[in-house]
Amino acid sequence: FTPLRGGLSGGLSQPAGWQSLLSFTILFLAWLAGFSARLFAVIRFESIIHEFDPWFNYRATHHLTTNGFYEFLNWFDERAWYPLGRIVGGTVYPGLMVTAGLIHYVLNLLHVTVHIRDVCVFLAPVFSGLTSISTFLLTKELWNQGAGLMAACFIAIVPGYISRSVAGSFDNEGIAIFALQFTYYLWVKSVKTGSVFWSIGCCLSYFYMVSAWGGYVFIINLIPLHVFVLLLMQRFSKRVYIAYSTFYIIGLVLSMQIPFVGFQPIRTSEHMAAAGVFVLLQVYAFLQYLKDRLTKQEFQTLFFLGVSLAAGAVFLSVIYLTYTGRSSYAKIHIPIIASVSEHQPTTWVSFFFDLHILVCTFPAGLWFCIKNINDERVFVALYAISAVYFAGVMVRLMLTLTPVVCMLSAVAFSSVFEHYLGDDMKRQSPPLEDSSDEDDRKNAVTMLMLMLLMMFAVHCTWVTSNAYSSPSVVLASYNNDGSRNILDDFREAYYWLRQNTDEHARVMSWWDYGYQIAGMANRTTLVDNNTWNNSHIALVGKAMSSNETAAYDIMRSLDVDYVLIIFGGVIGYSGDDINKFLWMVRISPSVASQPQESDYFTPQGEFRVDKAGSPTLLNCLMYKMSYYRFGEMQLDFRTPPGFDRTRNAEIGNKDIKLKHLEEAFTSEHWLVRIYKVKKPENRDRVEHKLRGADTTKQKYTSKKVSGGAEASSEGVFIQERTQLDGT
Amino acid sequence: IYQCLSCNKHRSNNSRQRLLRLKYFLYFYYFQIFCLQTKKVTQMMEWTSKRSVIRMNGDKFRRFVKAPPRNYSVVIMFTALQPQRQCGVCKQADEEFQVLANSWRYSSAFTNKVFFATVDFDEGSDVFQMLSMNSAPTFLHFPAKGKPRKTDTYELQVRGFAAEQLARWVADRTDVQIRIIRPPNYAGPLLLGFLLAVIGGLAYLRRHNLEFLFNKNVWAFSALCFVLIMTSGQMWNHIRGPPYAHKNPSTGQVSYIHGSSQAQFVAETHIVLLFNAAVTMGMVLLCEAATSDLDIGKRKIMCVAGIGLVMLFFSWLLSVFRAKYHGYPYR
Repeated sequence: FTPLRGGLSGGLSQPAGWQSLLSFTILFLAWLAGFSARLFAVIRFESIIHEFDPWFNYRATHHLTTNGFYEFLNWFDERAWYPLGRIVGGTVYPGLMVTAGLIHYVLNLLHVTVHIRDVCVFLAPVFSGLTSISTFLLTKELWNQGAGLMAACFIAIVPGYISRSVAGSFDNEGIAIFALQFTYYLWVKSVKTGSVFWSIGCCLSYFYMVSAWGGYVFIINLIPLHVFVLLLMQRFSKRVYIAYSTFYIIGLVLSMQIPFVGFQPIRTSEHMAAAGVFVLLQVYAFLQYLKDRLTKQEFQTLFFLGVSLAAGAVFLSVIYLTYTGRSSYAKIHIPIIASVSEHQPTTWVSFFFDLHILVCTFPAGLWFCIKNINDERVFVALYAISAVYFAGVMVRLMLTLTPVVCMLSAVAFSSVFEHYLGDDMKRQSPPLEDSSDEDDRKNAVTMLMLMLLMMFAVHCTWVTSNAYSSPSVVLASYNNDGSRNILDDFREAYYWLRQNTDEHARVMSWWDYGYQIAGMANRTTLVDNNTWNNSHIALVGKAMSSNETAAYDIMRSLDVDYVLIIFGGVIGYSGDDINKFLWMVRISPSVASQPQESDYFTPQGEFRVDKAGSPTLLNCLMYKMSYYRFGEMQLDFRTPPGFDRTRNAEIGNKDIKLKHLEEAFTSEHWLVRIYKVKKPENRDRVEHKLRGADTTKQKYTSKKVSGGAEASSEGVFIQERTQLDGT
Repeated sequence: IYQCLSCNKHRSNNSRQRLLRLKYFLYFYYFQIFCLQTKKVTQMMEWTSKRSVIRMNGDKFRRFVKAPPRNYSVVIMFTALQPQRQCGVCKQADEEFQVLANSWRYSSAFTNKVFFATVDFDEGSDVFQMLSMNSAPTFLHFPAKGKPRKTDTYELQVRGFAAEQLARWVADRTDVQIRIIRPPNYAGPLLLGFLLAVIGGLAYLRRHNLEFLFNKNVWAFSALCFVLIMTSGQMWNHIRGPPYAHKNPSTGQVSYIHGSSQAQFVAETHIVLLFNAAVTMGMVLLCEAATSDLDIGKRKIMCVAGIGLVMLFFSWLLSVFRAKYHGYPYR
C-alpha cells in the first residue's frame, strides 16, 4: 500500500491508472501465490485426485465428457448400490462437473489437449484465484480498495480455505466459495445501486451456487436476514425493495431448475424464511405507499408496528426451527452422521490453526464496521455472526466463516496501515515538537503489523504443507534420515481388481471406499460415500460383524464376489477397518437387532483384539479377514508374531481358518486385503462320514462274502454292488 | 443361627432345660438381629431423608450392604465423579441416578425396602477391589435375600443410563415400581424471562428516549462478545462438557491447558477468550489513537498500549498454541 498511496500523493499525472495497475498486479500475484500454495500435493506425489468424494466427482465428470451433457443428466449408475443402482443425474449438484467439463471442452476446442483428470485436479486452485478476486470486489464495496486487496491476499493463502481447495481435491466446496463470495458481492452491489441489472446478476450467480453446493441454503437465509434487519433498522428504501424482490423471484425460479433441488425451495422449512421476508417486504412497501396517501399518521405507524412485529415473530420462529433443527441434527446421534468426523463441534485450536492471526483481529474489523454502519456493513456483520455460529457448531463449516474473517481482518489491518503507513500530509496540525517521537511510534506499529503478517504467511505455508496436502490415496512415511517411503497400496489393490476380476464383479467394502473402488477399480460396489440408504449400509455392517457362516448368507443374498478391507496393523495405519469396526456394529442394529455392541467388548467394557478380547469379536468376519495368516508374520524381533502395530497388541486368534472365503490379494504392506467369496459347492457337503469310508460294518461283510484278507475300499464297493444286485 | 441350629440337632434326648435355655438364647439372638436390622434400617432411612442417594465409603459399604442381617435391597452406583478422573459419562449417569432416587424418595409409595447409594472410586477404592470392578459407572443391585446374581448387574452398554431404563431394571429386580418424575428445568425460561424483564424495564424507563437502541457501541460490543465466545470454542464445551481444569492426583499440580490438540479444558477456553479479546482491543486502540480527537499525550498512551496488547497477548496465544502442537512450527 505504500506505493499505492505514494502514487496518490506523488502527483503523478494519472493516479487512477497507477491504482488500477497496482490492483491488477496485486490480484495477479495473490492468484499466483494461492495457486502455487495449493500445489504441494502435486509436486510431492503426482497429479492425482484425492480422498473419497472427489473420486466420485471425477468419475461423473469423466462420464460427462465422454457421453455428453444429456447422457449425464439421465445417467443411471448401475455400478453403485448394487442391486439398487443410483440415479446420478437427479442426485448430484452438477455445477462442479459441468464447470470442469466446460473448461475441458473449451481447451480441446482450442487444441490444447489436456486430459480431463488434469482439469479436475487443477480446478480448485484456479478457482481460488477467482475467489480472491470476488473477495476483493466485495471488500471494496464494504470498505475501500486497500482493504479489498488485503482481503484478496488473505483468502488466497488462508488454511481454512486451502483445506478444501488443494490441487486434486475436486470437490464442490472448491468452486462454491467463489460462487458464494461473488453472489454476495452482486447482492451488495444491487442493494447499493438498486438496479435490476445487478440483481439479475446476483440471481445468476446464485443459480451457479445452487448448482454447485448444498450450502446455497446459507445464502437464501442470510440475504433475507439482511433485508429483515434493514427493515428493523428503518433503513428500508426502494433500492432494497427492488433488489430483494427481483432476487427472490428470479432466484427461486432458477434454483428450481436444478433437478436435485427441485421443489425444495417452496416446500422445506429452510427456505421459508426467504418467502416470509418477501411477503413482509411487500406489506411494508404497501404500507409505505399508503402512508404517503393517508393522514392518520399515528394509526399508520401503530399498524405497521403491529404487522412488523407479528411478521418478525413468524420469521424468528422459522429461523429458530430451522437452525435448532440443524444444530440438533448432529446431536440426535444418527450413527451414520455421528461417525463422520467432520460433523463435530470446533475447538479453539481448530480456529487458530485455520485462521491464525485473523481469528484475533477480525473482531476488530467487525467493531469498525458496526461503528461506521451502513446498509452493506449490516450485511457483513450478519454474515460474520451467523458464520461464526455455524463454524462453532460444526468443523466443516469453518469454510463459510473463512471468507468473512479474511474480509474483516483486512478491514482491521488496512485501517491500521492507513493511519500509520501513510505520510503526515493529511493531518492538518502536526505538533512539531512530537514529530520524531510520533514517527518512532508509527515505525513500531508498522513493523509489528508486518511481523504479524509475515508470521501468518509462514503459518499458512506450514499448515498447508503439513496438514492439508496429503492425497490420502497415496500414503507417505518418513525415515529418520528424512528419506521418504511411498505406500501405494490402495492403488495397487484397486488396479489388481481392475485387471484380475470379472468386469461385473461385485465388491463389498465399508462405505468409505465405495467411491474409490468405483473410480479406480471400475467395479460394482454395494455401498458408497453417498450414504442415502442406511439399511443397505447396515446390512454390510452386519455382514462384517457377524460370524463367517451368518455373513456368508448375507453375502450370498447380496451376490458379493469379493470383499475388500483395509488393514493397518502392519504399518500402524490408524484409519483402518478394525478401528472403524464399532461404527459398523452401531449402524447394523438399525436393520436387525441381532449383534449387540456390548458383545464386542470385554466384560470390563474395553475393545481389545488380543486374547482377552470378546469371543464374538475374535470370530467375526472382519476380525478373521483382517488377521488371516497375520499370526504367522513376525514384523520385528522385539515383538511376538502377530503383533498389531496400530493397536499395540498381540492378536488373540492366530489360527484363523476361512471356510467360505479365500484370500485373493493382499497388497505390499497388507494395507488392502481382498477376499473372494467362494461359490456354493455343487452338492452340499455331508456332515457325517461317507459310506465308503465307513469301516466297521463293511469290513465285516467283506470278510464274509469275498473272504479276501486285504479288502481295499474298492473291493468293498464292488462287494456292495453285488449285494444290491442280489437283493 | 446356623451354629445354634446345629447345636439343636445334636442335643441329647432328655435335657429339656438346656433346650429351653437354647430357645431363649435363640429368641434373644433373633431379637438382637432384629434390633440390629431395625437400627440399620433407621440409620439408612435417616440418611435417605437427608439425601436421596446415600454416599458410602468402604466402611459403610461393609456394614450396611455386605454384612448379612439385612431386609432391604440396595441399588448402588459405582462411579468416579472427581474431576481429575475425567469421567464425563459418570456425571450424566449420576444425574440420571439422582433423578431416579429422587422420584423414589418423594413418591407416595416410598418404603424402606429399597435404598439408593453411591460409592465413589476416590472414597471407597477398596470396595472396587473387593468386587473386582475396574470400570465406572456400574450399577449393582444387592438383593435383600441371597447373593447378587448376574442380572443384578445393570447392562449399561445395552440399556444406557436413562432414569426410565434404570427404573425398569429396579422394578425387575425388586418389584418396586418407580415412576420417574423429572424436575422441570426452570433455568432456561427463568433466564429468558429475566433477560426480557431487564430489556423491558430498560425500555420502560427510557420510553421517552429510545436512542439507546441506536447506540452503536452496545451493538458492537455484544456482537464482539458473541464472536469471541464462539471462536474460543465455548460451543465445544457446551456439547462435550469437559472439566474445568485437570489436577494431577499424584503431584497435585493443576494444569489449565489440555495437552492434546483434539480437546480443551474450560479454563483454557477462558484464557484464549481473554487473549483474543486483548489482541482485538489492541488493534482497536491502535486505530483510535490515530483517529480520535483527544490530546496528543493520551493518544500516545493509547498507541503504546495498543502495541503492547497486540504483541504481548498474541505471543502468549502462540505459546499456548505451541504447547498443544508440540514442536510447532518446525515439526
